[in-house]
Amino acid sequence: MFGLVKGLGLTLKNMVKPRVTYKYPHEPLEMPNRFRGIQYFIPELCIVCNQCVRICPTDCITLTGKKSDDPNVKGKVIDTYEINFEICILCDLCTEVCPTEAVVMTNHYELATYSRDDLYKDMEWLSQNNTLVRKENTLHPLPKKTGAKKA
Amino acid sequence: MLRTEEMLLNVGPQHPSTHGVLRIVVKIDGEVIREATPVIGYLHRGTEKLAEDLNYTQIIPYTDRMDYVSAMSNNYVLVHAVETMLKLEIPERAEYLRVITLELNRIASHLVWMGTYLLDIGALSPFLYAFQDREKILDLFNELCGARLTYNYMRVGGVKWDAPNGWLQKVEQFITMMEKRMKDYHQLITGNEIFIQRTRGVGVYSQEMAIQYALSGANLRVTGLQRDLRKEHPYSIYDRFQFDVPVGRHGDLYDKYLCRMNEVEESLKIVGQALASFPEKGRVLGKVPRVLRVPEGECYVSIESPRGELGCYLVSKGKDKPWRLKFRRPSFCNLQILPVLLRGENMANLVAILGGIDIVLGEVDC
Amino acid sequence: MDWLFYIIGPILLLGIMLGFVTYAILFERKVIGWIQNRPGPNQVGPWGVFQTVADIFKLLTKEDIVPERADQTLFKIAPIITFVPAFLVLAVIPFTDRIRFADLAVGLLYYMAISSITTMGILVGSWSGNNKYALLGGMRSAAQMISYEIPLVMSVIGVVMSAHTLNLTKIVAAQNEVWFIFPQLIGFVVFLIASIAELNRTPFDLPEAESELVAGYHVEYTGFRFAFFMLTEYAYIFAMASLTTILFLGGWQAPFGWTFLPPLIWFILKFAVIVFLLFWLRGTLPRLRTDQLMEFAWKVLLPLALFNIFLTAVLKEVPWIQTFYR
Repeated sequence: MFGLVKGLGLTLKNMVKPRVTYKYPHEPLEMPNRFRGIQYFIPELCIVCNQCVRICPTDCITLTGKKSDDPNVKGKVIDTYEINFEICILCDLCTEVCPTEAVVMTNHYELATYSRDDLYKDMEWLSQNNTLVRKENTLHPLPKKTGAKKA
Repeated sequence: MLRTEEMLLNVGPQHPSTHGVLRIVVKIDGEVIREATPVIGYLHRGTEKLAEDLNYTQIIPYTDRMDYVSAMSNNYVLVHAVETMLKLEIPERAEYLRVITLELNRIASHLVWMGTYLLDIGALSPFLYAFQDREKILDLFNELCGARLTYNYMRVGGVKWDAPNGWLQKVEQFITMMEKRMKDYHQLITGNEIFIQRTRGVGVYSQEMAIQYALSGANLRVTGLQRDLRKEHPYSIYDRFQFDVPVGRHGDLYDKYLCRMNEVEESLKIVGQALASFPEKGRVLGKVPRVLRVPEGECYVSIESPRGELGCYLVSKGKDKPWRLKFRRPSFCNLQILPVLLRGENMANLVAILGGIDIVLGEVDC
Repeated sequence: MDWLFYIIGPILLLGIMLGFVTYAILFERKVIGWIQNRPGPNQVGPWGVFQTVADIFKLLTKEDIVPERADQTLFKIAPIITFVPAFLVLAVIPFTDRIRFADLAVGLLYYMAISSITTMGILVGSWSGNNKYALLGGMRSAAQMISYEIPLVMSVIGVVMSAHTLNLTKIVAAQNEVWFIFPQLIGFVVFLIASIAELNRTPFDLPEAESELVAGYHVEYTGFRFAFFMLTEYAYIFAMASLTTILFLGGWQAPFGWTFLPPLIWFILKFAVIVFLLFWLRGTLPRLRTDQLMEFAWKVLLPLALFNIFLTAVLKEVPWIQTFYR
């Protein structure tokens, strides 16, 4: 019997403790800086190296490059860049390999929509997703080195 | 004598206490179970087959989704296998971060088990209390690697991120808080007579039987056998820490509960020691080749996940992708004993025994 | 004017009871929320006051599903069989010495007898739905209700012996000097435990054990029929808490002669304490197992209740002490 009474005492004590519930839909949740949210894409930085497409474990990134209009610029520039958030698992590998930090993570996590088509984000949408951008990105020292070489 | 008929009852795949999508076909006579057959595979995603088409870095996020309650140990077992094959040297600081995250994840996993187990038995509040504490661990992980469940934190040769500023202090605060909270749990649950009544002497099996069924983890230790891979063949830097391996005596569900709760306390000790001797400076990612081509051959490594022996068998043909990858999932192996344990028990014990095994369906079906 | 009271009274009582059920559910969720460091329902209306109203509205507007293979008649009639006794028992409950409906000489027996009809409704409902989980829940419920009826009745015999009556009004009057909870402490404990079991509440909520039987006897019920089962459950909390107050806590009598509050308020206060206790237990305790439940009723509670009767009988003859057992 004594164990039950002790348990009852504990629950009674907890009744006056502060509430821990997040007021989530009313107040947005603050995520730490490293949080892996929806990507932000910067077309100007992209060198169309295709590394993010190759590393993506779920094959959710598609991109095409084109020749630059400016004849002085060597190499390609990005033409289309799409991420399918139906299958993206936000694993962070694309930002890890990107040598120029053209694709980076943000702290946004709201992906709920009424239609599957809305989850197919194109370059325009991704490049406008430019708030709450993560500060530290390619912490992976190796890609940084190769990135420096290439850039 | 009245003729009674046996009844076939499908427990699951949509049932509140099958912890996911397990289905158990039970033949019951009144409330007494005559036969129980677990049916698995509702969450099968073919991780092992998928892995054959992915390079080693790409597999890591997939392992997050096997045992989603303790993704760190899955992460670790894969990178550990690859590192063993490559004979890589891991920086000191990375090893410490690995141990800290592994043990914190073990605490989180045991808290989930404790909460859901009490929920199975009918108590509502311990579940919420356990999740409050787990939430703190998840917040720590969120800050460290940017996700709360699917960490994708370990890399071949080290870890992805170094600890952010002030993170280690937060872990230290968490340990102090958790030690206090453990007292609360003991007050609320350990001495509770109804809980003891429900679990004492239920689901008992002998040590021989446990070994025959290849049980591991707390399911094995509960029979009194002191086998913990962290002690048996220490991987990472576990040989540097002082900790005990809690064992049970009776092999029943109450001992399992005590075993896991004591493991939480031991894990707290390990994290405390790791923080005390945490290297000041250093890299967190060793020197690894740009493309990971694992030399031809095979290897099997195993670690002590919160659920038992988590093994990874890797066969490589010298490519940057594994030729065959096989995970020895403790939940799957431990589940084998369920039909034997359930025979002759009543319906109420079904959930208690099933919960006691501590399965995660993502891992069972893989 | 009496006839007017007898017509309007019950309707009023039904309204009060529905109001109680609405807010008891909210209160329960709030209390359990507080225990778990949560605020509880707080979205519908200020402080969540319209939460249950919204829930009931949702239940009433839901599709009414009767399983094809169910016994149609019994399936439809079961919620009624279950609910009617829960309301009937309220007839004999004296809320104060003025507010009461039937002053039966055998009020206590009437309560016990009528309340056991509910078991039939549960059994019928569980069987007719043609669901295996419901059947198991119904069987558990029948076994449990029958087993716990015995210690429940036995435990109040001590009270009856002291009060020399089965009339609930007179039982309250007999507690003028001392509440029966003190001389009948064993009886009170047995009664409280047995009544929780009768109410199918934690730690004795096996008939609807969610983790084992999904939802127990009302698995197949939807919409307003399901609402009836829920209503029954909370109506019984209303009735049982009232009965406990009357039998052991001195009904509407003020303690220590603190008559500055009207009798009805005292009744509500004591009643609220019992209701809170039920919710508090639910927030703390795990569930018993079927066989343990039976063992507990027959091997612990029944002997204790019998011992209490014996003790009362003996103490009634001991000088000085007998004044408490008069």
